[in-house]
Amino acid sequence: MEFLKSGIKTVLGSTEPGQQPSAAETVEKLVERVYSSTLLEDRRDACRALKALSRKYRIEVGAQGMPPLVQVLQNDGQDAEIISYALDTLCNIVTSEEFDEEADNPAVSVNVGEQFTEMFIKCPEHVSLIMGYLDEYDFRVRRASIQLLTSLIANKTRELQELVLVSPMGVSKLMDLLSDSREVIRNDVLLLLVELTKSNSNIQKIVAFENAFDRLFDIVQEEGNSDGGIVVEDCLILLLNLLKNNTSNTQFFKEGSYINRLAPMFKLNEDAQWTPQKVSNLHCLLQVVRALVTPSNPQQLVAACQRAMHQTQLLQALCELLMSSGVPADILTETINAVAEVVRGEHENQLALSQVLAPSQPPRPAIVVLLMSMINEKQLLGLRLAVLYCFACYLYRNADAQRQVVQTLLPSNASEASSALSTGQLLCTGLFSSDALANWCSSVALMHTLVEQVPLKEELLRVLLATADGQRPITLLAQCCKLLQQDQQRLQSKLGLLQLLSVWLAHCPGAVKALLETHGTMAYLTAQLCANEHDEREYLLQGMCAFLMGLCIQFNDNSLATQRREDIVQLVIKRIGQETFCRKLQEVSRHEAYSRACKQAQLRVKGAADLLLDFEYCKLYKGLEALVAKLVSGFDVDGIELTELTLSSEASALVAQYKGIIRGLDTQIQTLQQHSQELEQKSTSLQQQLEQEQLLKSQLADQHTLLKAQLGATQSNGVDATTAAAAASSSANDEQLNAARFQANMYFAENIRLTKELDTMRQQLQLEKQRADDAQASLTTLQKDQEDLLELLADQEAKLAKCEVATTAGAAPPNISSS
Amino acid sequence: MSYAYLFKYIIIGDTGVGKSCLLLQFTDKRFQPVHDLTIGVEFGARMITIDGKQIKLQIWDTAGQEAFRSITRSYYRGAAGALLVYDITRRETFNHLTTWLEDARQHSNSNMVIMLIGNKSDLDSRREVKKEEGEAFAREHGLVFMETSARTAANVEEAFINTAKEIYEKIQEGVFDINNEANGIKIGQQATPTNPALPGAGGAGGAGNSGCC
Repeated sequence: MEFLKSGIKTVLGSTEPGQQPSAAETVEKLVERVYSSTLLEDRRDACRALKALSRKYRIEVGAQGMPPLVQVLQNDGQDAEIISYALDTLCNIVTSEEFDEEADNPAVSVNVGEQFTEMFIKCPEHVSLIMGYLDEYDFRVRRASIQLLTSLIANKTRELQELVLVSPMGVSKLMDLLSDSREVIRNDVLLLLVELTKSNSNIQKIVAFENAFDRLFDIVQEEGNSDGGIVVEDCLILLLNLLKNNTSNTQFFKEGSYINRLAPMFKLNEDAQWTPQKVSNLHCLLQVVRALVTPSNPQQLVAACQRAMHQTQLLQALCELLMSSGVPADILTETINAVAEVVRGEHENQLALSQVLAPSQPPRPAIVVLLMSMINEKQLLGLRLAVLYCFACYLYRNADAQRQVVQTLLPSNASEASSALSTGQLLCTGLFSSDALANWCSSVALMHTLVEQVPLKEELLRVLLATADGQRPITLLAQCCKLLQQDQQRLQSKLGLLQLLSVWLAHCPGAVKALLETHGTMAYLTAQLCANEHDEREYLLQGMCAFLMGLCIQFNDNSLATQRREDIVQLVIKRIGQETFCRKLQEVSRHEAYSRACKQAQLRVKGAADLLLDFEYCKLYKGLEALVAKLVSGFDVDGIELTELTLSSEASALVAQYKGIIRGLDTQIQTLQQHSQELEQKSTSLQQQLEQEQLLKSQLADQHTLLKAQLGATQSNGVDATTAAAAASSSANDEQLNAARFQANMYFAENIRLTKELDTMRQQLQLEKQRADDAQASLTTLQKDQEDLLELLADQEAKLAKCEVATTAGAAPPNISSS
Repeated sequence: MSYAYLFKYIIIGDTGVGKSCLLLQFTDKRFQPVHDLTIGVEFGARMITIDGKQIKLQIWDTAGQEAFRSITRSYYRGAAGALLVYDITRRETFNHLTTWLEDARQHSNSNMVIMLIGNKSDLDSRREVKKEEGEAFAREHGLVFMETSARTAANVEEAFINTAKEIYEKIQEGVFDINNEANGIKIGQQATPTNPALPGAGGAGGAGNSGCC
């Protein structure tokens, strides 16, 4: 302070003792001096004094000093010293940081820096002025302008980002500073870039284009990789900024083979200590990995990154970290989350994870060791949830792994698995433990083994559990139902069980049947739906019960005589009411936990109590809620299914389509039948005609032979006559002969003509026959089609008939036992 | 995948001339007929072979709209090659070439290879700019010229590969300072130190699956 005072004295001249000028007056004098002094030295001294005052009297300096300081920046560019004072002063004014000197000054509000920032950037030229000083090589000037810009960006990020973007080569210029040989400058630029790249994809892309990835990895390497100091952390934070929610940059990162450079950073030095800095570094590094493969990125890109992470041994390094000892809990948690996302949906990676062995005695699969932590009450919540997420990701679109888990539970495998802990056993242990969170996690984990796997749902029905008191073994499903009904079970456990059962029953009539056969489950569900609890969570439970009941209707194959879909709907109508049912059903999607769980595959909760719904359950719920509601409200009061209504839109469209086809085929058959009749008629008439012709022909042939014989007789007669010499009679004979010849010729010609006609008739007949055959053939195929369709129609009719029966039966509704 | 060289490209030109389609055809070998406006800049990459050497192309496809001009300008400096695209069925996109070229020359490094591309050559019936005009413009400004069709893939490979050949030759001649990454060129692990004095090295050999021109 003494130095300060003396500084001020030298500038202002000594004041009369006892009359201390106020800060505002002092600042005013200094400002006047900056404006009016002709000598550079005087202006420089005034600036130095302003800088000194700016920490303690920020408001006074900020209110009056900005215009003169800008003037200095505009006019005194050739003097590095005065520029650095001006920049430093501005920096002090706009920073959001609170100085020790002003701590006791009540006039300084929290956001005073932000307000001064706003004033300063009102004129965009001010920012370009500062950007201009980045080119100045002088250490003080360059550093001060970097720091000032950083403060401005931190306070008014959006506005400054726009200003930097329009400033010619603004971002590129900043990127150049990253190569400054002076480490201090480089580190300050890193901080600036961290602020600048916050949620602005355009800037992020330009920074990446300017070789940021190379530069950052180089710096990280220089600084000692994950064992390095805070600069490494800054680099990783910047890297994270560039990649997060930026698919273009993620693509660039992947294509540029930078994943190669990530992997070695996970290699841990055996004896290296877990310093707080190292924990931070590794945490950022894991975030970077996750940003590349987060499920919210386009799937193609995620898969490409996942494959690259397998090839570059990054996955392996993560697994090693997972299995090494002494890793701090939050790093372990984040590692598990990272492994989860690196394997999610990528078969090769999932396989690799399944083959990882924990260094235990005897060696156990890593998955098993992880599940052990999940059901361990003493583990941290975050870690347990990470394991659940990892397990779910391991099973995601991985039918083999899903089958393997279910198989460890099946009776045939029980004996051989007894020696080593299996995944299935662990899940059962968790399911029946006294820890509600373990119940919930295990239910959900088991649920993930069944997602989109109907055959496995059938398989899991076969699982039997030994009972403690030596009674008959009970099925897993029955046990779950039993647990659900127990009063002492906590709500969280019940929600878990309901999720498991819902996924189990969906699209699996066998499971529906099994559930309906269990003792008291339907009664429990009904009771829940009738209950009128006012707790928000009770509502959720009731809604989920309604959904489960809806699944019992939707996927019911009517194989149980007293529990057909109509019967259950009757139950709903009589005991609960359709409106109430639908209202309760809506409770689930209205619940806060639902919207939270829907957002992403990873569970993010503040406390264990917030853990209510899982992502996959919500997905199922979303898909079937409307269907269930429509199904239940599609029955009339007497429990008669209004057929068309209850069919889903696709199904009814399909039925309509088939109806159309049947109609079309019907008309086609009719026309063909008509056609074939006509052809038959034609063919018989032709046959008749032919017969007539043949008759005529044979007659003619007879006549012909007769005539021939006559001719022969007359000829021989003629010879006799000449020898007998009766010339007169010869002419008469000749005449007769000629007439006979003529007649014979005529008959002959007629005969030929008729034969020809006969031939053509025959041909025509052949042709007609062929046509008749063809028609017959198409008729039979059509008849076959018709038969198929008739069967379909018969089905529909049967349905209708059933409805009619039900209508008649409606007068005396079936007696439903609710016990 | 390792490469001998890495070249950075940018694609510039008026909006709607088919820049994104050219990139998609080159990287994914498919055509997307729906006009999907590019926001800012999008990235794509592909490996090609020139003179028996693996060369990685990293391509930044820029938005053509005026509103993004200040953003896209930031990409000129770091690029080794630029594809300047116009639409042969729209005269105005050809008329704007001078502005684009000035902009590019002003902000890029002087060695940047610029390839002039008249796109949509499949729409010959609607042609407004004659091929000779494109050739003349290219000659006048010292550019390489080609007509392409992102729809039929005609000349698309060639456009990207010939630009790469041009850059490759400049490297062989020692024009580019390959140690300065700001030029948009990076040497990979695979590259053997080339001797610019060797004359034969410049002849570009079989380039991928493209026909040599």
